This record gives sequence, C-alpha cells and structure tokens, in this order.
Amino acid sequence: MSTLSDESRQIVASLAHRVGPNADIATVAQAIASILQDMDAALTPIIGQQGVAALYRRSLHLCASNHPRLAGTYDSVQASLDLTALKSVLVEQSEADALFFGEVLLTTLYELLTTLIGPSLTARLLRGVWEPSLSDTPSQENSP
Amino acid sequence: MSTKVTINRLATGVPGLDEVLGGGLPEFSFNLIAGPPGCGKTTLAHQMMFALATPERPALFFTVLGEPPLKMLRYQQQFDFFDSEAINQSIRYINLADDTLAGNLDEVLRRIVSEVEAHSPSLVFVDSFRSVVLASQTQDNPNNNLPQFVQQLGMLMTTWQATTFLIGEYFTETDTNPIFTVADGLIWLRQSVQRNSMVRKMEIMKMRGQPTLPGLHTFRIATSGIKVFAPAALNPVEAPLEFPIKRLKMGVPQLDEMLGGGLPRGYSLLVAGPSGSGKSILAATFLAEGARNGETGVIAVFEQRPNHSQNATLAGLIQSGQVGLVDSRAPDLSIDEIVQLLLSEISRLKATRVVIDSLSGFELALAPTFREDFRESLSRMVTALTSAGVSVLMTSELEDRYTDLRFSPYGTAFLTDAIIVQRYIEVQSRLLRIMAVVKVRASAHSDELRLYRIDDNGLQIGEMLPDQEGLLGGRPTRQRLGKDDG
Repeated sequence: MSTLSDESRQIVASLAHRVGPNADIATVAQAIASILQDMDAALTPIIGQQGVAALYRRSLHLCASNHPRLAGTYDSVQASLDLTALKSVLVEQSEADALFFGEVLLTTLYELLTTLIGPSLTARLLRGVWEPSLSDTPSQENSP
Repeated sequence: MSTKVTINRLATGVPGLDEVLGGGLPEFSFNLIAGPPGCGKTTLAHQMMFALATPERPALFFTVLGEPPLKMLRYQQQFDFFDSEAINQSIRYINLADDTLAGNLDEVLRRIVSEVEAHSPSLVFVDSFRSVVLASQTQDNPNNNLPQFVQQLGMLMTTWQATTFLIGEYFTETDTNPIFTVADGLIWLRQSVQRNSMVRKMEIMKMRGQPTLPGLHTFRIATSGIKVFAPAALNPVEAPLEFPIKRLKMGVPQLDEMLGGGLPRGYSLLVAGPSGSGKSILAATFLAEGARNGETGVIAVFEQRPNHSQNATLAGLIQSGQVGLVDSRAPDLSIDEIVQLLLSEISRLKATRVVIDSLSGFELALAPTFREDFRESLSRMVTALTSAGVSVLMTSELEDRYTDLRFSPYGTAFLTDAIIVQRYIEVQSRLLRIMAVVKVRASAHSDELRLYRIDDNGLQIGEMLPDQEGLLGGRPTRQRLGKDDG
C-alpha cells in the first residue's frame, strides 16, 4: 500500500472533503464515522450486517499489522461496527493522527473488498459513498 | 378475436434452454430451480437474471442463508454474463440472513413483500429457498407454516407481476414437498457421475402450459455460462425422395459406378472396414470431390490427432475453409452436444457433405453414461443430420472376422441408407484389399467385389477376381473350373 491507487486517492479526497478546512478533532471523527456509515448502508443490504461487520473487523486487523505505530489505537477500537465507540477513541487522538487513521482504515476496507469481489463491482457498490464528495452535500444519507 | 389470456414467454438468455422449456419462460410464473450442491443452480439463476433484467424490468435477488453473498458475487463475476454496471441499477441484491435466522417465516415474507413493493421487480430470485425452510424447522413448531408461506409467496409474486425463481437444494424429486405442488415450473439440475466422468443434466419436470422437451438434457458450464444441448429439432415432414435421384460423386469414378451413379443426395453412407483399409482416405476424397464442385463440407474427427496425421488434401481443405472441422476435445461429450456442434458448423458453411470419422472414436468420446444408448444415439444423430439435408459418410472400424459377414460392430448397419464394406484378402502371399457396395437404398448398385489399392493419388479401384472364390472368407481359392494359369 505504498503507492496510492486511484480509489485510495478518491477515498482520501472524499474524507478531506467531509472534514473540511480547519476542522477540530470531533469533526474529523464524525467525518470518518459518516463514511463508514455510508459504506455500511451501501453494503449491508447486499452482504448482510454480519458480512459488513466481518469486513470491518478484518480491516482493523490489517491496519494494526501494517501500521504498528497505530496499533494501540486500533486495538482500543472495538471490533464490532460501533461508530459511537470509534468516535470516542478518535477524539482522544490529534487531528493528524485521527485523519491518518481514517484514511488507512477506509482504504484498507476498500481494498479488502476489492480482493474479494473485484475492483469494478466494489466501485459500483460504493459509488454512492464517494459521489457526494463531488457535489456540495457532504453528509448525504443513502436512502435504502 | 381471442379474448383468452396471452402468456408471454421470456427468452432466458441461456443457449438451448428456451427450446427445452418449450419456447421460453412463461411470464409471471413461479418456478423452482432444484438440485444437489454444485449442480449450477445459482449460475443458472444469475445467467437468466442478467439476460432478462433491465432498468424498466429490474430484478431482485434475495440471498438467504447458505452461500455468503460476498462469495457468490466473487464467483459469479467470473462469468461473461456478469455485468457490474447492472448491480444497483437493474439488479438489486438483498440479504435476508438476519430475518431468516430468526426463523420467523412471516417476517421473511413481510421483508420480501416490502422490498418487492419498493422496487416493483419483474424478476424475483430467492437463493437458497431451502435454507428458509430449514431455518423455520428449527423452531419450536416442527409443524411449521411452510405450505402456507409458499402458497402466499406464490400468490403475491404473481399478483405483483413478477416472474419468480426459488433456488433450493433438493436431493430427491419424489419428496412430497408443498413447493413442488405450488410451483408452475420445476427445473431440476443434476450431475451424473459414472466412474471418472461427470455429465451435467437438466430436466424440466414441470412447466405449466408449455410443451417442454421431456427427458434429461445435457449442459455444460463454461466461462460464457450455462449452455444446454437441446435435442435437434426434427423436421416432421421429411422431403420426399426426388426422382430421378440426384447423386453426389465420391471422387472415385469406379466407385460411383458401383453405387449406381454416385451416392444419392441426402443419404447416409457407412464405410466399414478393418484398420488401414483406407476408410479415412475415402472420406477425405469424398470431401475433396465436393470442394471441387464448389460444395462445402464438415468433418467430425474423433480418432486421429487432427493436426498430426491428417492427409494433406484434407488439411488443405480445412485450411482453406472449404471443410469445417469439428474436433471437440471436451471430455464427456453427449450426443446432443456433438449434433449441435455439427449442425452449427453445417449451417455456418452451408455444407452439403458431412463426414464422421469414425464411429468407434465417436463412441469413445461419449461419456460412459451415454454408451449404453449408443445405437439409439447414433440413430438420432443420423436422423438429425440427414433431415438437415446433408449427405453423411461415416466410417466404422470393423475387425476382420472371416467367419461372419458384418458391417458394423454396433448392429447399426440398418441405420444407414448405403453401405460400403472393405476387407483384406490373402492372395499369393500378399495382403490385398477388396471393396463392395452392399446396399444403396432404393437404387440399383453393383454387386461386384473389386480389388483396390491405395497410392499417392488416393484410392484406385481395380478389377474383380473372377478366378478366385471365397474372398469374404479372407483366404480365397482358385476356382477349379476357371481359366488355367498353372
């Protein structure tokens, strides 16, 4: 994961967009959580709640092993997809650390899904998550 | 004007399936795709779904318990028909695992209905339906409300104008299962394993209001998806024999004479003889003669390695496209698959001459499960080919047995319209070859046993051996009363 793929760049850009300029740590945490929530909303109908939870758990594990520096943070995040818990861990970090954490987690989750169902279908399923970042409605909910 | 309801038939997009179904899939029907694990149920469902779903006529695919959706998406993507762009557009996957785990069929039904109401799909799939049933049985009430559930589901889907497929693992078709009763269509998939060979078979056990093709139909699963080999449609009215009979030249003038002027068009000809007697050479000559007259041909080779030992004439004809080669290396062939390969090649080239070289190799190429019915299969193939209007030359390896006069090892001689037999004889310490025309249906033909030899120019027919007798016994003796020669 040394070189960023187009998708990773898109994720990073989308996150940056949701965070906005001069954000405080709470905004950063909220932005990460909202993207995860959108991904969850896009994937749960298709692969089920348990499927999404398993992907999330695996992503956390991969992040911790690839970025030992952040291992402590990952370990303190509960493995269930509990966004409130995630946010409470994130607000303890510096803005930069939290943002880095978010970027790594989201790209890892994306790439994990890519290894399973391929790039085109992954892009297809998650298109709605990134599209709002191009328009000016940052926290658009995916209607079911 | 008729005021009866017209049932639209949907083209399934699965090659051969519409024929087997009797003209496509009835719209708004409620169907079950059943069979043991690994027989291709989910693949069949996906192939039909991707073919039929459009943004105006979307499909809903409910995944229940069983194959995790992630894996299903992973594997189904390998097929050519899978189009990622269709997902969330014309095709929507909906996971019902949590609802099913609760074991409450009413809740499952409610979820299905609410999704159907939300999306108004034209197509609904439930995979696997079996797990819905099993989940409901783990409940305290073993006497679950399954019949009621199925009945309601069937009724609701039909009134919502959705063509529905339940996909389920079932092992015995004799179970009394409420689904079997309610369903309009029952598509049963099987894998038949015999020794080391596996053949996939499909049976339409039921399809209301449709003249389905009965029996088991073989199919294959390739990257393009499922392909069903429907039996060749037979022309019920065969064109009557025209007089005078139009005849094809064989490429060996003396042989044409022996046949009474050539092989009548549309006939099937069996060339039977021992190994090395020149059957394949005669077959190649037959095709070359056609090519010389501007006709095209098709050859099905089951015996020799096509690029290796073919004679130069034939290789040239194949190279130039005047002869199509059917050389299926697929293991476990079925007769319908071969016939389909031949017929598609025939129609592609508008061929008039077909060679099958040889029946013995053909039998070996068939999956063991079909060998028992070899004669029957052969008869179907000959009928299918000749009713397509082509003339067929088949070679048959014939062990030389001098104690009986047989023309094919299969008792298939009656299937063909004409027979040429070749034999070895021993004369003066030489192995000579003789040939005779045994039969040409509805035509006069020669009764001569003629010597022939094979040289660089092919097959050369020579004289009779009037001073020898007992040729068919393989060891002729000089006639006592014949001309003296010593």
